[in-house]
Amino acid sequence: MIILLGVIIIFVFLIIIFYKQINLNIIVVDENLNGLSNADIYEPKFAINNESKKIYITATEGNFINKNEVLLKDNVRFKSNDFSIETEKVIFNRTDQTAKSKTKSKFMSKNATIASDGFNIHDKGNKIIFYGKSYIILK
Amino acid sequence: MILIIKFAIILIFSISLNAREIGETEITTDNGIEVFQNEKFYLLKQNVKIESDNFTLSADDVKIKFEDSLYDITELDAKGNVDFYSKEFKISGNGNFLNFEVKNEKIKVEGEGSELITNDVEMFSDGFIEVTNLNGDFLLEGKNSKLYNQNIIIIAETIIGNFSEINNTKEITFLEIYDEKISYVKNNDAEMYAKKINFDNDTATIELIDNVTIIRNQERISGDYGTLDTRNNSYKINSNNKSKVKVIIQNNE
Repeated sequence: MIILLGVIIIFVFLIIIFYKQINLNIIVVDENLNGLSNADIYEPKFAINNESKKIYITATEGNFINKNEVLLKDNVRFKSNDFSIETEKVIFNRTDQTAKSKTKSKFMSKNATIASDGFNIHDKGNKIIFYGKSYIILK
Repeated sequence: MILIIKFAIILIFSISLNAREIGETEITTDNGIEVFQNEKFYLLKQNVKIESDNFTLSADDVKIKFEDSLYDITELDAKGNVDFYSKEFKISGNGNFLNFEVKNEKIKVEGEGSELITNDVEMFSDGFIEVTNLNGDFLLEGKNSKLYNQNIIIIAETIIGNFSEINNTKEITFLEIYDEKISYVKNNDAEMYAKKINFDNDTATIELIDNVTIIRNQERISGDYGTLDTRNNSYKINSNNKSKVKVIIQNNE
């Protein structure tokens, strides 16, 4: 009975892993189709200049969408003295100094964490909008 | 093998991110959050739920003002289908709008069918109910404003008063009530009607002004002005020149 239960658990676990693997493959294929896998810039660094603070933006790689907009990918990080935001993909507008992301994001500040389905940064970092079902933990 | 480890890390990370620990406050929203860093507030949008060890709140939308960082809450405004419970202050309530000032421990519930319930007192109003926990001040304003506790029932359009802790129970030490039509107060000894009724615990006197009626035992006395001494249960009713004091003594035998 215990062995049978063990076999069932392992089987379910393998199905989940297999399913995840398929999803990962789809994402890789999708990215290749978009033709954005070849980065224009590696380890890009930008900054949003606010009157009171500076927000530094870093990522593993980036691609220019047009003259103003850059798609930042992998380990995208916004960091100021007050907070940081981590996500996987962001479109950063260098002229407007705005940023938008539709990927899972994690905001961290002193004793507070926000998880959301994406975010927008406006008004030189003063206004941050987190999208979708969002979740805050305050300590 | 790497995939299994990756999967396990993702699973552990997502569980740890979404689980509230003791001492933490968890907030969930269906339609996002807007943070205004300079103005120091954030908006929680649609189907908001706040849960901590001592406090729960649900509402359609919530605005939270903060001092230093997001956790450092100074004021909360909740809008639409507000329902809350504070274990710490033993208070619960609901209404269309709630304002809570953390520093002053001041709570205001607004809208039709507003309720504020504590261990000792129940308050209802279609206007608003405001209670300052620090000093015991309370104010009910609007139609169907009512206050009940073990010893008293008050019904009037405006009820202003103060609670003080006496012998571990909250007792009313000051009261000013007004209703353009008629205010109603019932204590353990009598029922009182008047447009305006005042009570001061220091003088132990209930003052009734305009269109006064006191009903006690089988007596029903009407006049224009009355006072009731709560220490010896005596009362006095006067009338102005136009009307007379009227006494009706019922005989139930």
